[in-house]
Amino acid sequence: MDGQDCCGDVDIDVTDDGGCCDGNADATGSERLGYDADDVASVADGADLGLGCGNPKAFADMTPGETVLDLGSGAGFDCFLAAQEVSPDGDVIGVDMTPEMVSKARENVTENDADNVEFRLGEISHLPVADATVDVVISNCVVNLAPEKQRVFDDAYRVLKPGGRVAISDVVQTAPFPDDVKMDPDSLTNCVAGASTVDALKAMLDSAGFEAIEIEPEDESTEFINDWDADRDLGDYLVSATIEAQRPPRDV
Amino acid sequence: MKEDLMDIICCPLDKHDLDLEVDERDDEEVLAGSLVCTECGESYPIEDGIPNLLPPDMREDAPA
Repeated sequence: MDGQDCCGDVDIDVTDDGGCCDGNADATGSERLGYDADDVASVADGADLGLGCGNPKAFADMTPGETVLDLGSGAGFDCFLAAQEVSPDGDVIGVDMTPEMVSKARENVTENDADNVEFRLGEISHLPVADATVDVVISNCVVNLAPEKQRVFDDAYRVLKPGGRVAISDVVQTAPFPDDVKMDPDSLTNCVAGASTVDALKAMLDSAGFEAIEIEPEDESTEFINDWDADRDLGDYLVSATIEAQRPPRDV
Repeated sequence: MKEDLMDIICCPLDKHDLDLEVDERDDEEVLAGSLVCTECGESYPIEDGIPNLLPPDMREDAPA
């Protein structure tokens, strides 16, 4: 039932050897993902679980007054960074399907004095967000976990205002997965086996109606991706990418 | 949940507006209550200030 439930019904396991769902929140870890030290320092401890694979803030070009939606907001780190960008008049909404994560994120609202950030329990292919209300959809290493990615992109398109955009960091597949990866039940929840190819993602975004679709693999990400698994070099067939697209300014 | 974001949220199933029913609130936000879809009638709980807008078949019945 919860095939996309990456971090699921467990507390974050910091004892395992890596993977997107294993906390690695030391500063070095987050800086490898593309955050700078100021980003890490600007958010109170507890929100940065080190679970992403990039930094959507770095390419989302958020401006004051915008409304931002974070798909799979976790403990809220990317939401709090976004809130700094869109303050004082903008709003940030984080949606996550895991009660433990939303509770943690809500506690972090107080820690960060971020009264323009709201979290709700929800599922990213059934977004509880009204049509054409959002300027930017961000997400960090979550869409790969969704079993119905087309629905995720369709719903993201629906909630975006005309001219709105997506700025997503996620893993993409660069080569066929070895059989042992495909057969490994942990491989889906560890943000590996659910990854799509760049071409498949482009086709889904195009089908949803997006234009100006740009997916850029970040080659240097293979370094931290290789650390996600002690036994395999996942970077041989997986890379983190920036995924950008725009809803056309006027519906055609 | 802050009330001023009511116009952004909607029913996850049919995307229609939700009516807010407040059981408990403080100065800033709604702490307990429910959100009821104006179209399908589905009721979504607000607990500990968090609206649970998961589709009903994904909702956990047991309290956390």
